[in-house]
Amino acid sequence: MTLGRTKLASVARRQGVLIAFVLLVAFMFAATSTFGTYQNLINVLQQNSIIGIIACGMTFAVILGGFDLSVGSVTALASVVGATIMIDSGTPGIPIGILGAVAACLLVGGSNGWLIAYLGVNPFVATLGTMTVVRGLIYVATNASPRFGVPYSFTTLGMGRLFGVPNPAIVFLIVAASLGFVLHRTRFGHYVYAVGGNPVASAQMGVNAARVRFAVYVLASLCAAISGIILVGQTASATPQAALGYELTAIAAVIVGGAPLGGGRGRMTGTIVGVFLLGVVANGLNLFGVSPFWQPVATGLILIAAVAFDGYSKRDGFGS
Amino acid sequence: MIDGSVSAVGVLLRAQAISKSFGAVVALHDASMHLPQGEITGLVGDNGAGKSTLVKIISGALSPDSGTIEFEGAPANFASPAQARSHGIETVYQDLALSGNLAVWANLYLGRELTRGPKFMHVLNKGAMLSNTREMLKRFVRDVPPIGEPVELLSGGQRQIVAIARAGAWGSKLILMDEPTAALGVAETKAVEDVIFGLKRQGLTLLVISHNLDQIFRLTDGIWVLRRGRVIGYRQTASTHPDEIVSMITGAAASVGTGA
Repeated sequence: MTLGRTKLASVARRQGVLIAFVLLVAFMFAATSTFGTYQNLINVLQQNSIIGIIACGMTFAVILGGFDLSVGSVTALASVVGATIMIDSGTPGIPIGILGAVAACLLVGGSNGWLIAYLGVNPFVATLGTMTVVRGLIYVATNASPRFGVPYSFTTLGMGRLFGVPNPAIVFLIVAASLGFVLHRTRFGHYVYAVGGNPVASAQMGVNAARVRFAVYVLASLCAAISGIILVGQTASATPQAALGYELTAIAAVIVGGAPLGGGRGRMTGTIVGVFLLGVVANGLNLFGVSPFWQPVATGLILIAAVAFDGYSKRDGFGS
Repeated sequence: MIDGSVSAVGVLLRAQAISKSFGAVVALHDASMHLPQGEITGLVGDNGAGKSTLVKIISGALSPDSGTIEFEGAPANFASPAQARSHGIETVYQDLALSGNLAVWANLYLGRELTRGPKFMHVLNKGAMLSNTREMLKRFVRDVPPIGEPVELLSGGQRQIVAIARAGAWGSKLILMDEPTAALGVAETKAVEDVIFGLKRQGLTLLVISHNLDQIFRLTDGIWVLRRGRVIGYRQTASTHPDEIVSMITGAAASVGTGA
């Protein structure tokens, strides 16, 4: 009996977020008739894929012991650069637009990585700086007005479906699966954990910590670039104010998913659960007719609850 | 030879006239010593005698102001611990240098991971690393710690065993240990000492710094004594006595060895 209870407690501790998510979904199915409809589930997927893709890259940065505040601005940068090129050159310009968006974002990611990995700038300072600079440059370049007129064919990416699944969700799935593989199965992912857990020991054992850090911040920007391009596909336009605050939602999803800010810990599956936990709560509030203004309140409370539960269960586990 | 200087066995490492100052503080003055091949040698002295400085110079973490190091008969003034490691000199640091969040196998293989599949992808071959780790640890550890567990869940003694085993696992020739059992209990100290003996049986040469003279006498074949940056002398453990070593450490009796 006691053994059973301890085992149960340990499962709850390790899979707490997953259990909370399953309970939440079960509750939503029971309490509403609309949650389980195809249209609503499609909405949840559609609305959370962009944050989800950003959160996949953020997972690497958090496990490394840092985070990337610039990803919201980078998402907007990708959509503005991509949309502008596509508008100016029409349908043949779509691949050029995508390449241009990715290139612009890699420039930002490269700057972040260079500042953090090689100049030793604190990740908070470095990415706060690029976040502000990039957003400012977008305003300067666009005069803070949206760009319309992206070829309509491009909305297939944002609004189309494959086998009934929204395309952005399919992109999210591909990004999450491949980055999950990189994180958990390859030497690079292994080094992200090693450097995040003990940078000094990793360096002593011959791990090139600077190169790992650099690559992670480039990767985070690359994910933001993909999100920005999908954003163009959803609206056939680009707004300079797009993706404001996405970086914080993505960090929240990663932390709720079980990766502490101290680094060295976390899993890609945790991040995916974290993204959809926050997403289903937002969707639920919506279905219950609660004002959308309450949504950030809910996100913040879940974040605090998840971290507090994690800290409490750890103390519980080691104290007694 | 009155100090029982080694003659039967070869010399793996020789330090000649090493001096090192930090500003006005002289950490080592004209220090010469050597390590007999395949033996456990102790390095003792009071706080500030220069023990850690000497070990750091041998391991490449510090470079001497003057003097030379010879390793396997060749000059070996290493510029970095990585360079020393590539020649087979490993250091077990006081702060262990393990990654607590990584499993035992991952710490053992840190920086040397086995991969499989297409080369550019570097997919980890976890299965091979797990079974190799078990084999490697079995060579000199009686109770192999749980290999799949994160190191931070192990006891202090088990962690130290992992750190020492890692130092001995990669074809190294010389292992430098600074206070290997400083924060450990009696049983754990015993377990770590067993691992140190295990490494010696594998033919490795070991240098151990310890403040614990009982331990020095249990472990070592010979002892170098430092006092205020100078090498006072060498004694074979079997033919000396703790009282003599203490008097050499404190300078209570004038014992001048040939090592200085």
